[in-house]
Amino acid sequence: MSTTKPQGWRISVDTGGTFTDVVVADDKGGFTIGKAPTTPDRIFVGLKGALEAAASSLDLSLADILGRAELFIYGTTRATNAIVTGNIAKTAFLTTAGFPDVLVLREGGKFDPHDFSKPFPKPYVPRRQTFEISERVGSQGEIVTPLDEAQARDVIRSLGEKNYGAIAISLLWGTANPAHEQRLGELCAELVPDIPFTLSHELNPILREYRRSSSVAIDASLKPLMQAHLRDLQSDLRAEGYAGEILVSTTIGGCLDVDSVIAHPIHTVRSGPAMGPVAGRRYSALEGRDDSVLVVDTGGTTFDVSLVRDGHIAVTQDTWIGERFTGHMLGIPAVDARSVGSGGGSIGWLDDANLLHVGPQSAGATPGPACYDQGGTQPTVTDAALVLGYIDPDYFLGGRMHLNVDAARKAISTVSEPLGISIEAAAFSIFAVSNETMINAIKDITVSEGIDPSEAVIVAGGGAAGLNIVTIGQELNCRGVIVPRTASVLSASGMQFSDIQAEQSATLPTRSDNFDAAGVNQVLEDIDHKLEAFAGMLAERGFSDYDIQHRVDAHYAAQVWDIAVDLPHPRIESGTQQTELAEAFHASHRRIFSVDDRLSAIEFVNWTGRLSVHLPEVVVRAREVKQTAEPASRPVWFDLSAQSEARVYRGDQIPVGQTIDGPAIIEEATTTIVIPDSSTAMLTANDNFVVELTGS
Amino acid sequence: MDAKVDKDSDTKLSPMLLAVLANRFDGVVREMTNTMLRTGRSAVINSARDFCCGITTADNELFATAEGLPAHTYGLNLQTAAMCEFHDDIAEGDAFLHNDPYSGNSHPADHTLIVPVFWEGEHLFNVCAKAHQADIGNSLPTTYHAAAKDVYEEGALIFPAVRVQRHFEPIDDIIRMCQRRIRVPDYWYGDHLAMLGAVRNGEKRVHDIFQKYGSDTIKQFVSEWFDYSEQRMRHAIKALPAKTIERESAHDPLPPMMPDGIPVRVKLTIEPDDGVIEIDLTSNIDNMDNGLNLSEACSISNSVAGVFNCLPSDIPRNGGSYRCIRMKLREGAAIGIPRFPHSCSVATTNVSDRLLNLVQSSMSELGDGYGLAEGGLGMGAGTSVISGLDARHDDHPYVNQLIIGNNGGPGSPYCDGWTTYGLPVVSGLMYRDSVEISELSYPIRYREISLTQDTMGAGKNRGGPGAKITYGPSHHPMTVVFAADGQVNPSKGVLGGAAGNVGHLYITDADGNETPAPSVGMVELPLDSWLTGQELAGGGYGDPLDREPERVLEDVLEHYVSVDAAREVYGVEFSGDIDAETLAVDAGATAAKRDEIRAGR
Repeated sequence: MSTTKPQGWRISVDTGGTFTDVVVADDKGGFTIGKAPTTPDRIFVGLKGALEAAASSLDLSLADILGRAELFIYGTTRATNAIVTGNIAKTAFLTTAGFPDVLVLREGGKFDPHDFSKPFPKPYVPRRQTFEISERVGSQGEIVTPLDEAQARDVIRSLGEKNYGAIAISLLWGTANPAHEQRLGELCAELVPDIPFTLSHELNPILREYRRSSSVAIDASLKPLMQAHLRDLQSDLRAEGYAGEILVSTTIGGCLDVDSVIAHPIHTVRSGPAMGPVAGRRYSALEGRDDSVLVVDTGGTTFDVSLVRDGHIAVTQDTWIGERFTGHMLGIPAVDARSVGSGGGSIGWLDDANLLHVGPQSAGATPGPACYDQGGTQPTVTDAALVLGYIDPDYFLGGRMHLNVDAARKAISTVSEPLGISIEAAAFSIFAVSNETMINAIKDITVSEGIDPSEAVIVAGGGAAGLNIVTIGQELNCRGVIVPRTASVLSASGMQFSDIQAEQSATLPTRSDNFDAAGVNQVLEDIDHKLEAFAGMLAERGFSDYDIQHRVDAHYAAQVWDIAVDLPHPRIESGTQQTELAEAFHASHRRIFSVDDRLSAIEFVNWTGRLSVHLPEVVVRAREVKQTAEPASRPVWFDLSAQSEARVYRGDQIPVGQTIDGPAIIEEATTTIVIPDSSTAMLTANDNFVVELTGS
Repeated sequence: MDAKVDKDSDTKLSPMLLAVLANRFDGVVREMTNTMLRTGRSAVINSARDFCCGITTADNELFATAEGLPAHTYGLNLQTAAMCEFHDDIAEGDAFLHNDPYSGNSHPADHTLIVPVFWEGEHLFNVCAKAHQADIGNSLPTTYHAAAKDVYEEGALIFPAVRVQRHFEPIDDIIRMCQRRIRVPDYWYGDHLAMLGAVRNGEKRVHDIFQKYGSDTIKQFVSEWFDYSEQRMRHAIKALPAKTIERESAHDPLPPMMPDGIPVRVKLTIEPDDGVIEIDLTSNIDNMDNGLNLSEACSISNSVAGVFNCLPSDIPRNGGSYRCIRMKLREGAAIGIPRFPHSCSVATTNVSDRLLNLVQSSMSELGDGYGLAEGGLGMGAGTSVISGLDARHDDHPYVNQLIIGNNGGPGSPYCDGWTTYGLPVVSGLMYRDSVEISELSYPIRYREISLTQDTMGAGKNRGGPGAKITYGPSHHPMTVVFAADGQVNPSKGVLGGAAGNVGHLYITDADGNETPAPSVGMVELPLDSWLTGQELAGGGYGDPLDREPERVLEDVLEHYVSVDAAREVYGVEFSGDIDAETLAVDAGATAAKRDEIRAGR
């Protein structure tokens, strides 16, 4: 290990389902990427491979970079995968007597009313593992039925005998009066001290029993797994000589210390998609773009889109793991990152009346697109991109994989022949129809946030994003597209820019026409108290620069769906401040829904404080180009009818400030950017390609 | 719309453009729908999703709908046709309010806003939003007035396509009329604004599409999209066997109005050679002197929905696919075309639910793999309208429809019935209220909401379970209005599948005495009394003896089916013990038991 230890190296790791991505930020603002296949059995093996890859690009050893690093930020899909596959602890669900089916009935809802081919989803915890506890608290916190302690003891004792791995406790109105939940917690600690449990009022004190209970069940069920996983990671890193701080990335786009995450592992769920907008926010700010930012992240099978407005990353309470209605609701606030099943592997097909569709079926990684020559015969979006000339068959993944153009053409002929059009026209159609899915996903999130895409810039990440994102940006009339050089590792880059973040919330329903200012201020006081205690703990470890922001979920009287509004002041002392809060709500409602209703009372429900502990800022700088070269050129299809000659640039040979007019293609080892005729790209000093969309 | 575009193959839209434009229009309706859902003020909109958004062409063909209730899939076109018939000065900036069941609406509680969309001075589309209102000024505080002998007793304000905006400005007279007459007018006005927001937004989005593609392309797209939809529908019908099916079922007795119940009849003729299905409703009884008559829109919508439920679900539901359905309706029939002034107050649910069930179960007579069982139905305790005074808020009056019970869905050829199905006309789309939100918003306390063992119609694929629900007032007495069904006639199974349970409704007083409640009507619940509803499961599809024993085991482990029912109904015998977590199928004993049951048939 080197003896001098430069300040501020920072390592971030995103262990995805297929690849583990590493970004090493050195003290000069250079980002170095390392990638290696994920090793699910022992995560550290793949992680080490990716770290070594990054180290070797820097001509350093693993020990060198671990020795120089002070901060290690870890992101994992482990928890998300466990939920999706059901590979979780045997979990008991303790609920109020009379209400055993909270997790079965959910909040209702279904897609297509005429589709009877899909079975009703199973609950997160089976009914046979659900136990009704004789007790009831009322809506004002009053005890309607006292806790039957003898019955509760019997139930809890039996869980120990039947080898339960976790206990989820969520009682009706546990948020209004936690006495019964607390007592059950004490009984668990006494009777089954080895079984971890989660209490609803502690984890997620929100109204609505399904989403609260779902969050509690998910959290408890992950505890054995994630505790072991994170402890292993910690000891593996220490064994390799890393002595700095370890943080774990979270659902709200921040990071937390390992102990906090072990206490509530639900906070790691979907942390990967949450990090995309953190990266997007920084990259757009670096380019001086204060527009709204649409952040997209394209994988082989999914397309994630999230939104940054006025520097705020959009957050939602409605995150589903799996499909909406049939998956499981996360129930805690999460970065609003919407996933649609669309990517390079999506398959184009014709229905019985010859209408072209793309997806949702995907060729996935195996057999993969036809051009991979691994047995795929159906035409995918990647095959289409190849036929159109967007991808160089000899420079895919930096030349590590050769693509078979003939196989792609043959696959696409299965669509072009029935339609009586050329293979190129069919390829172009597949590509365009596939873009529609992504355009829809982008429109959906902008609609729910009241943003017009034409006011936004797009930041594109993911290996395949560059193929179509400029076209999509034109189609949506966006203000520009930013493709960071680190596009292929957007989540890991986001971690480099994240803060330590923690949230506390409390439920206190009160209406604008009868506002309980004292009650609200007390709630805010309690929230701040808890957050400041946590901040104090972090300050002892050297992270002392923090702030707290507050928001409230509110609706017009009798509406049922909330919107979140930032509090204009940390407390609501005066009538003027109450009016300001009401005005902030009216303004948000008008922005999102184009209408407000100033005559209606506003009901404020759920109050949240967010602590942000700022980490030292990482500065990104483009490296100097070692050599430049004249661009090559090749024929490319940019519309249905005509081929044009595109200049082809190698990304590492483009100096800062050079403008590249379309039609052009920029090829990087990990991504390809297609610039159609009417657009212009430029590499900036911040190592981003910024594309101006003059054609739309 | 004048869609007479030259249909030579070389002037056809490219396959790409056809797919892209379909997606764009779909996006418009989806955006309208999301706007309504999130801004709607009354629970029937924001929870029950009792609304739909859609687009019709200027010549009044249904063009695009998305994710609407089956009960609403048809009819917007009849309403826009009425608008065109009644007005010869339709202009950009207009908006019309329509809720007239005698000129195309479902029932008076469904207010519909229609905005004609112009491009380059030409009227090309209409965008519409239809939503069930919390109140419409009926003579009683309910939007479902079952006893109304005619529209006058019903008392609703009827708007046969009445202009409510001109030059994008509201016509305040109409707004004031509604605010005078409709109870809790701020709810109504909030929903009215939500609908206006949705239709104006839809208009803007349609303009965006015209802006980008021009009106010639869009006109051609409309024509080709109808042809495409028709072709999909014809292919689906051509794959069915030819058959004529006559079938009848009945709504429960409704004393004193209909002491023998209401018969519901259909004759389906499947004509695969022509790719046509004829739905003949003409043999139904004459209009009744009560509020349960179906409007023309409901008669068509719910019988066609029964057909769509049995076809591939990705066939677009629009004027093109509707070309393959031949409706035979009789004027003056209770299920058909209502003769004014017979009331259609309850047109969208009870008899409509029966009709929808009847059509989809008729389709099962085509054989194994076709059709569906009947779904659980009835607007009982869990979907009743509660009202009273809220002691927690200075005795402020409240009225609200609960959406918190559960009727289970029908068994299908593919899987068990959907659990949170609701009603046939809702088909699982509605959201359920949260117990906590409900107790916070209204002075109500719930004692129990749980799915009931052994309620489901047994079958190779069983019905979804019904729930038992119990609640009562938390402070002052509470009025509860409901319109249940299925207390006599349960939801039937098909192809050997069993019927679901029959429902019950009863009141338990402070001393624990139980009294049956009427299945349709109104009760007063004093403090310390409780209303309990046993809601309905769906019917089963196919012979329960053909159900895989492992699936029966899973149902037993999950407490949906008792060990006794597993043995007696499904013929599955077990070894081991549930509590010891060792229960397993005894294959040999199961085979023997199944043989024994078959032999006894």
